[in-house]
Amino acid sequence: MGSMTLYVEKNSLIHHLDPLVKLLYVAASIALTYILPEPLFIAGVLFITFLLLVVGKVFRNSLPIVALSMVLIFSLVIVQGFFHPDNATELFAIGPVVFYEEGLTVALGLVLRVLVMVGAFSVLILTTRPDEMVERLIKKGMSPKIGHVILSVLQLIPQMRATMGKITDAQRSRGMETEGKLLVRIKAFFPLIGPVVLNSLNETKERSIALEMRGFDAPGKKTFLNEEKIYPYNKQFAGMLVIIILLAIVWRVIG
Amino acid sequence: MSKNKRSMWSVKLSTAAIVLIPAAIGINYLGKLFASLLRLPLWLDSIGTVLASMLAGPIIGAASGIINNIIFGITADPISTVYAITSGAIGLTVGIMAHKGWISSIQKAVVVGLVTGVVAAIVSTPLNMIFWGGQTGNIWGDAFYTFLISTNSPQWLASFGDSIVVDVPDKVVTVLISYFIFKGLPNSLTNIYRQDSEIEEI
Amino acid sequence: MSTIEVENLKYRYPDTTKLVLNDLNFSVEKGECLGIIGENTAGKSTLCYALAGLVPHFYKGAYGGKVTVNGLVVRDHEIATIVENIGLVFENPFSQMTGAKQTVYEEVAFGLENMGLVRQEMHTRIEKYLKLLAVYSVKDKNPFDLSGGQMQRVAIASVLAMEPEVLILDEPTSQLDPQGSQEVFEVIEELTKGGMTIILVEHKMDKIAQYADRVLLLHEGRQVDLDTPENIFSRGDLTDFGLTPPVVTTIAKALGIQYPGTKLYPVTIEEFKRLGEDK
Repeated sequence: MGSMTLYVEKNSLIHHLDPLVKLLYVAASIALTYILPEPLFIAGVLFITFLLLVVGKVFRNSLPIVALSMVLIFSLVIVQGFFHPDNATELFAIGPVVFYEEGLTVALGLVLRVLVMVGAFSVLILTTRPDEMVERLIKKGMSPKIGHVILSVLQLIPQMRATMGKITDAQRSRGMETEGKLLVRIKAFFPLIGPVVLNSLNETKERSIALEMRGFDAPGKKTFLNEEKIYPYNKQFAGMLVIIILLAIVWRVIG
Repeated sequence: MSKNKRSMWSVKLSTAAIVLIPAAIGINYLGKLFASLLRLPLWLDSIGTVLASMLAGPIIGAASGIINNIIFGITADPISTVYAITSGAIGLTVGIMAHKGWISSIQKAVVVGLVTGVVAAIVSTPLNMIFWGGQTGNIWGDAFYTFLISTNSPQWLASFGDSIVVDVPDKVVTVLISYFIFKGLPNSLTNIYRQDSEIEEI
Repeated sequence: MSTIEVENLKYRYPDTTKLVLNDLNFSVEKGECLGIIGENTAGKSTLCYALAGLVPHFYKGAYGGKVTVNGLVVRDHEIATIVENIGLVFENPFSQMTGAKQTVYEEVAFGLENMGLVRQEMHTRIEKYLKLLAVYSVKDKNPFDLSGGQMQRVAIASVLAMEPEVLILDEPTSQLDPQGSQEVFEVIEELTKGGMTIILVEHKMDKIAQYADRVLLLHEGRQVDLDTPENIFSRGDLTDFGLTPPVVTTIAKALGIQYPGTKLYPVTIEEFKRLGEDK
């Protein structure tokens, strides 16, 4: 049973970057879409983001993640397209439904921004091992306990998924109805979730005992088994991102 | 009471409370899976956060909510990261109300659910405005948004309406389910998450 | 000074009225293996928690008396300090995995990282204890992909790697299949031979008879008896405490096979055979 991660093992320039630099890229690219909100400019940021995905050899892996946001994107285009308060200029009509230029422009900006967000996140999560990122963050001052929580969740979710399969089968074989009227389905929710909740809460008790017995609460300084990776041009990349943000702000203020 | 107040906001987190966070996130996930398996018209994806708040107070509840969304953001659905703040607020609200005695009966639990739903909507509205011009991406919510916009309501109100039709029913049901589970837990289990116990000498 | 000293130990869980541990007094010497037996309500696990500091620090509740482990008064120190002196392994192997580590190797490292050991020392200890517990071959596997017996041995390795003076095993095989149990008991045998101080809680009386130097019999939180396995299992009133002696002892009683000049029955097959042949 593995860990829940979208990380794709490849050898690329992006994979060797410091996770913190990639995290900074996520923040910077989203910030840029707000500092300079013109669609053309956001499209530029999006282009760079896609370029990074390609350099990281994970462009194809990012498509399912982008697909997840499609519902939101469609909803944005349709609703803003014909209901935005500023709508005045009719662009085209499908039957009785009229699309307006103003609304579609707003929608385009929003959609591009959603794509930048999803794309930048994809750069981070597809090319970074979760434990590498967590260890980096701990070394930069994040509480090791929070780090532990994050890594445990990543392992716990696949286990829960497996448990769910077992429970569903067990309850079905006892004749529980998962189909039918709403009330029937609501009633089915309890026997499904009840046992797992009890089980996992009981497990927290035992696991906290086990963690205590392994010095989890030790007040002294923690050490790390894994040696720290050396990241090339770390400061340069981080500095570059900060400069770009500053330039964008200056541009916005002057222009 | 003053002692209780201190403990509710205690920053020193016990190991049991820390271990509760991943369990809560797992329960959130499972609630969501079962709800979609049974095609229920609700998300039910915050049962764990609500339970953690009831068991270990607002801080752990909020932490469960925030970490929940960040993790789903970095592993499955980047958009969910945006709502980390909302999830945190849900944890805080339930944690504080539970501590003040609002989960002593079903009627009170319903009130907790209503308040939580409204808080969630209030927190989500500015997020929805900032990120996607006011919508939520939920079909029912966005339909209501469209209706409000078409009656010339201001955008922020439409956006708030969009959130509230989705959040209030969901949170009432979520809090009720969590309430029933919480009431069924044995003392020996609920004890370990409390931060206020002292050792008595005999 | 004994490795473990327990004086007038009393304990009650929070929000309860009954003492789970009621005036216990005993000590354990270095290198000794103490077996603890009794019914489910006897307080065996609670006693283990009290030795490891989980009672009172983790569970809180009402506490009286004094427990000293390796010269350390448990009541006065944090669990993180106590665990460098005493380790605890319990029945469920699954929940003893930290859940945050990807490989068995890293799993064992967890406690050592918390102790703040330098990297070289960590590697040395991890290799040593993975080999000792015969789980070196699975060092790169995810802990949750192991069999129950393997997982439990990783749990033991993880605790031993912290090099405590005493190891507590609280029903370490009760959730394992026969194969897994056998694997774990082989390890326990190695450890007792190696001179480790061990506290063993176990339902399988033949295993207690085989490994324990002395046996502590608990009932309803009280200390009924503390003696050699032969003395404990030769008692006529074991059923009053919900216990049955090892099969060997029961057969010996039926056949009247005793240590000459005593009222004691053999508790292991080896002794049974020896006495039987003499007769």
